[in-house]
Amino acid sequence: MRMLATFRKDERIRHIGHLDILRAMQRALRRSGIPADYSKGFNPHMLLTFASALSVGAVGQREIMEVSLAGEIEPEEFMTRLNAALPPEMQLTSARLIEDTHPATMSMVSAARYHIALPDGDRKLIEEKLSAYLEQTEIITDRKTKSGIKPCDIRPLIYDLRVEDDGLFAELALTERESCKPAMLLTTLYAFAGLEPGRCRIIRTALLGTDASGRRVPLEDL
Amino acid sequence: MADYRLMNERIEAMLEQVQKAPRYTGGEMNAIRKPWDSVRLHYGFCFPDTYEVGMSHLGMKILYGLVNQEPDQLCERFFMPWLDMKELMEKEHVPLFSMESRMPLCDFDMIGFTLQYEMSYSNIIAMLRLGNVTELASERGRDEPIVVAGGPCAFNPEPLADFIDAFMIGDGEEVTLEVTAAVRDWKPSGEPRETLFKKLAGIHGVYVPSLYDVRYADDGTVTEIVPNCPEAPASVPRCVVTDLDGAYYPRSFPVPYTEVVFDRIMLEIMRGCTRGCRFCQAGMIYRPVRERSLETLRSLAMDLERATGYEEISLSSLSSGDYTCLPELIRALMRDMSKERVSISLPSLRIDSVLKESLEETQKAKKTSLTFAPEAGTQRLRDVINKGVTEADLIEKVTDAFMGGWSSVKLYFMIGLPTETYEDLDGIVDLAQKVVRCYFSVPKDKRAKGLRVTVSASSFVPKPVTPFQWEPQDTQETLKAKQAYLKEKFRGVKGVNFNYHTPELSYLEACFSRGDRRIGSVLRAAADLGCILDGWSDVFSFERWMKAFEIAGLDPEWYAYRRREKDERLPWEIIDSGIDRRFLWHEYEKALQEKTTRDCRQGCNGCGLNRWKGVCAIADAGHISQG
Repeated sequence: MRMLATFRKDERIRHIGHLDILRAMQRALRRSGIPADYSKGFNPHMLLTFASALSVGAVGQREIMEVSLAGEIEPEEFMTRLNAALPPEMQLTSARLIEDTHPATMSMVSAARYHIALPDGDRKLIEEKLSAYLEQTEIITDRKTKSGIKPCDIRPLIYDLRVEDDGLFAELALTERESCKPAMLLTTLYAFAGLEPGRCRIIRTALLGTDASGRRVPLEDL
Repeated sequence: MADYRLMNERIEAMLEQVQKAPRYTGGEMNAIRKPWDSVRLHYGFCFPDTYEVGMSHLGMKILYGLVNQEPDQLCERFFMPWLDMKELMEKEHVPLFSMESRMPLCDFDMIGFTLQYEMSYSNIIAMLRLGNVTELASERGRDEPIVVAGGPCAFNPEPLADFIDAFMIGDGEEVTLEVTAAVRDWKPSGEPRETLFKKLAGIHGVYVPSLYDVRYADDGTVTEIVPNCPEAPASVPRCVVTDLDGAYYPRSFPVPYTEVVFDRIMLEIMRGCTRGCRFCQAGMIYRPVRERSLETLRSLAMDLERATGYEEISLSSLSSGDYTCLPELIRALMRDMSKERVSISLPSLRIDSVLKESLEETQKAKKTSLTFAPEAGTQRLRDVINKGVTEADLIEKVTDAFMGGWSSVKLYFMIGLPTETYEDLDGIVDLAQKVVRCYFSVPKDKRAKGLRVTVSASSFVPKPVTPFQWEPQDTQETLKAKQAYLKEKFRGVKGVNFNYHTPELSYLEACFSRGDRRIGSVLRAAADLGCILDGWSDVFSFERWMKAFEIAGLDPEWYAYRRREKDERLPWEIIDSGIDRRFLWHEYEKALQEKTTRDCRQGCNGCGLNRWKGVCAIADAGHISQG
């Protein structure tokens, strides 16, 4: 069996990189005494994966991890023990057991939802320009790939973008093949509005998968 | 509180702009967070270097846990920010803040610096300035923090006397809580700082420099350091934890998110060393040797593993190979930890330790590079420094290591040791070559691939409380010539990588390690000129330091290159380290005669600890001989 769990990465630790968060989770699992499983071979490593790496500087509200288990444990017990072994800035919000046949969460991610808090001074102008920005037929920006920086059209990768509270709500494509990072959205949006890049706070609120009917829904519910 | 929120917002904004923000974020697992108003004493523990260096330091972990165990006290951590962060903090008027509650340094009741190496001194002044604490002890206001310091460099406290209110000398486990309690009780009393200082001066192991006057002779040497009030003792004895097994040791450490220099559980298996190497200050100031019991160590290791989740434990001490039942300890730990997949590493291996069996045990877990420290290239010079190992020892241990599957070996040497000649330098090259040959003499199918021999040559710095405390340091020109000579010699040696340190740093270390109170003005001038983070070669500026000496009107050569007279009053002799100066002088004379002194486990050599009953079992046995 495997455990699929969601966790928060709070503001205070938002600068900690993906690999460091992964290692912190591994150590927490070790501390918790949860029977995590290890790979076989010369250099065994814990079978723990995150569905998606979160950018340095971003807050995560429902990040997804899965860990293979070498023994039995109930989700409630799993949460209680792991939360006790984690710092307050990094806590689980849900957990459930999944079968070994359940696909890897990493391969299920199709998109992500974000809340982007805009600096006070920029908000009005960005909100005004939002619909015109979305009406563009293409939005070209630079994308870093293994073979260098390439131009890329992110318009089809923006599934949803609207005003929400003190900033924006965004639903953006996130797959191995094509994805739109919030930074790409913001770079083009700010340039479109004729503003200098502002310091926005990015909160990833959910990772999404696609259900049988083709709807994008939170991955942990699939 | 409104101010606090504002500051927190500013800090968060700054973190968006700096390199390596995780150095400043805090929020690590096992960091201890107490409500600020829930305690009566706030202690800021300052490590005068970056987070990555400071978080690798064992002493901080011990004292952090110790103070936080007290229900009415809290201890939070401070580190030296990197240049970009420092600049932003100055620009935004954000004072140096703690890792836990982000409170400014100046709001703490007491702040303590750990003095691990001389080249961190500039960071102390920088941290005081950044933290809005008046840097001169004599000018601090009533309610400013009490500034204390401890650690190995506190054995010569004089260079920092202008900045530090009180030094704690020796083992910190007991004296720290006596001092925090005194500060806690004094703080609400309304009494002036001097009242507290006089009280502190009465605590065993505490040196309050403002309670002493220094007199100098015409030639600049110190003639005496005398108390200026009856409360101050004429000589300050160091603190010794006699029962290390019963002493406090944390069962939990904060675990950094990012990798730091030593990112593992550190298990201090013993303190002190019986070898008596004559260049080694640690070997003198941590006497006598004290061991933790096997059972205590197993229990600590288990708890620390459960509390941290670390994948590696390192056994730490000055000479772990000397631990009485090392193979048993390693076997027991391996057994205890096998389920947790923890590997065990042994740093600072001494080449004459009985380690063959231990080596085989450790390799089951992990193969890292092995370090050997012959220190000198010839037997003659090893006798001078009393490094009681022979070439045969080294070759035997290295062969064992190669047979055991290691292929990476580090060899540590010092250059500029007293009486050194070019023959001794040739000896370094010769020894390295023998190690290489040793590797090739192991059958191909029995040795690991990829031989890597690293020869590291540091420059000798004469240290206080050692038999070489009277010796001049080699001049920079001499050291540079010796380095160039070795570099040339190693050019033709395959499989050996030779590296060395810049002699400028060692020169300044020599000035500070045996400096007097006047060095304080050099440190201030250097801080004004922007000297900071001197341990980092990309920041260190030798020119600025030379300028600082010039401004202070002091001659660095006088401190580094001068041979001290036998009867000269040495500035650090205000501290009674427990080691008799007559013993040190006798050892110095023996060094020059190339005579060795036995390991104290073979019998007492009369270092002076016998004056303190109940401290050293060997000395108490009264078997004193001058060998």
